[in-house]
Amino acid sequence: MPESTAVVFEPGAGDPRFWRDGAIATTAFMLLVLLLLTVDSLRVLTEGGGGNVPAYTVINQKITYEFDAASNMDKPVIGGEELLFGHRYSEAEAKAIMDKGKLVIQSRSCINCHAFFGNGAYYAPDLTKAWLDPTWEKMWMPMTQAKTREDAMVQFLMHPDRYPTWARQMPNLNLSEEEARAVTAYLKWISSVQTNGFPAGFGRREVAR
Amino acid sequence: MNATWLLPTAILLGIYVLCAGCYGLVYALGRLRESRKVTRTAYGFYAMQGLTTLLLVALTPLAWGWKLFLVACFLVYAAIPPITWRQLERTHALEHES
Amino acid sequence: MNQSKKLGVQYLTASIVMMGALLLFGLLASIFYLKYGFLLGKLDFNIVKQVHINALIIACLWGFMGAIYWFLPDELGIETVGIGLARLLFWVFVAAVAVVVVVFIFVQYGSSDESGMWLVNQGRKYVEAPRWAAVGIVAVFLTLAYNIFASVAKARKVTGIMGVLMTTMIPLIAVYLIAFPAPTNMSVDLYWWWWLVHMWVEATWELMIGCILALALMKLLGTSRKVVEIWLYLEVALVLGTGILGLGHHYFWIGTPQYWLSIGGIFSALEPLPLLGMVVHAIYDAGKHQMKTHNKPAFLWLIAEAFGNFIGAGIWGFMMTLPQINLYSHGTQWTVSHGHFAFYGAYITGIIAVAYMVAQESRGIREVQGNAWKWAFAGLNIGMVGMVGALLVSGMSEAFIGRALGGSTLDGFMASQSNSWFMQGMIARTGFGVIIVASYFILAWDLLTLGRRSEKLSPALATT
Repeated sequence: MPESTAVVFEPGAGDPRFWRDGAIATTAFMLLVLLLLTVDSLRVLTEGGGGNVPAYTVINQKITYEFDAASNMDKPVIGGEELLFGHRYSEAEAKAIMDKGKLVIQSRSCINCHAFFGNGAYYAPDLTKAWLDPTWEKMWMPMTQAKTREDAMVQFLMHPDRYPTWARQMPNLNLSEEEARAVTAYLKWISSVQTNGFPAGFGRREVAR
Repeated sequence: MNATWLLPTAILLGIYVLCAGCYGLVYALGRLRESRKVTRTAYGFYAMQGLTTLLLVALTPLAWGWKLFLVACFLVYAAIPPITWRQLERTHALEHES
Repeated sequence: MNQSKKLGVQYLTASIVMMGALLLFGLLASIFYLKYGFLLGKLDFNIVKQVHINALIIACLWGFMGAIYWFLPDELGIETVGIGLARLLFWVFVAAVAVVVVVFIFVQYGSSDESGMWLVNQGRKYVEAPRWAAVGIVAVFLTLAYNIFASVAKARKVTGIMGVLMTTMIPLIAVYLIAFPAPTNMSVDLYWWWWLVHMWVEATWELMIGCILALALMKLLGTSRKVVEIWLYLEVALVLGTGILGLGHHYFWIGTPQYWLSIGGIFSALEPLPLLGMVVHAIYDAGKHQMKTHNKPAFLWLIAEAFGNFIGAGIWGFMMTLPQINLYSHGTQWTVSHGHFAFYGAYITGIIAVAYMVAQESRGIREVQGNAWKWAFAGLNIGMVGMVGALLVSGMSEAFIGRALGGSTLDGFMASQSNSWFMQGMIARTGFGVIIVASYFILAWDLLTLGRRSEKLSPALATT
């Protein structure tokens, strides 16, 4: 009687089928919850959907990062007009330059040194709020003799080997001017994403090097 | 979270799980050797986890929700090694009967 | 030996070789932290790191596939269906990986349009492989799934373990399709990308290695099928019960709604609970079965798996998983420390255990002999613990100086990278890395010569 061992102690516990059904039920329930949360999350993540991710045309505006006492976290604040490269991007133009910027970032394998939202590699600084880094105005605009932050970024991205960055040195990845501008626009847009306060205190704290 | 408490909090959280691990490990060894003394040492590790929980609750700037969660988990940890051990003996008893 | 088992040996051999590439490129990558301007403009850090992490993925996949092809005929009692196609695809797979590595190292960067994505580099972490290679991976998976499903159909025997394995194949292939599109919106991109990475590493892979270890335990310790299946189902319930919403701990900072902070925090903070059960289980098995096994290295590597999992995923994970800590620790060497130990504990140890079992059985060795495996076991484990310990020191100092004090800016980052706590951790990491690489060579040599060597040493034993 090989079946008789199925129930030895309490009903079910000695039977693999009891555990199998439990595993299936747990998995199905968790998947259902995940699907519901995904529907809601994608609504919040869609660019220009009124959630945490602004439309690409946000690059025509001023972006700052400030502490919000009510939610106890840092949040990007979208201000008035502040054009990028002195140009007012239409919706289609903004989309085109973002598409390009993302492909440049992928083709140069940026995230295997840098990170976005903390995802990637940690050999070089996280780029989530790089657009807002005070260093561009303090150090890089004088160093590149550029008149604006975005021009300084383009200069640096095209010729990183000309500018030493202390503990690390970025290699020259042969970006064309068009590619460097696309990456700059992408960095401006991504700095406007509301990230639940990550990274904390960006640009408002200082540490002696 | 503030800069001063960042690392102490993280280290306490690590010790919290480490104590739980030692509790489970030593408890299992005690049952295996059927030694009261070893099992008592295991409860000592569990008490150390309790102390760590206390420090986390009293000192660190973690939110209250997380502190409650840590206390609840601490209570659940107590049951894991004995329940696992009993379940192991039950399922393996099946092996010898079949 | 039948064809399926032969293929299993081939895949496992390839997996062990790939671990060598993984380690050498890892060691190379660590030097970039010590020497300013190392290989700058020739072979940059991102390329070296990219080869390192892709070698990890491939070594794990080959290890799983090797184990599956090895155990399948035992489980079903027949030769695997469609094994000819599978054997052909092994060589295609190996050749494709070689081409991708050569392209990564020598071509490095593609153009910033679709052709670059198809031919050179997709530039998304873990799925950098160009799209043509990703198509190949899908083809290999489909063949593996066909082998499993058709063999089960032919044998007319669905065991519990095969049921779990077959079910796992479906999400494994489905989520890999996320490797193809690359949405412009980074937040949406990462949302789906984590479905791929998390559902592979923390769900479907866990189930695959669970099935493999279930099959291994029945053979190694003679545990009964009923007991093994109960534990496998319990593992499925725990892994998927906490793992599916554990996805939330990757959704803290990518632009997702705030509720993920609570969901992700709670589910990943629950993770050490089942892992503690695993530790108790390992002690139980060690105590009750140690005398019975004829393959000590395989057995000890399985025990190492339980402890590695508890320390790597449990302790290391818990330190940094609560959102208030993670805000500062995420994306520093602290993450690196956790990642290395968790991957090693969960997968590499398991694959090495299976490799020892397969080496024993395929060469008809009665009892595994020699001391080499002891040196490899000690060296790899000590090296790994030392390395993640060193990375933890670096990571904590980086989180404190670069993040909490420095506010994550360029200045903050550079200050953290040149801090002496950080640098000492990095030097120690490379030192332990050298120990790991040396121990790997002992391991590979031992696995390669097992049986052949001991026969020479003691001909009397070989005949018994």
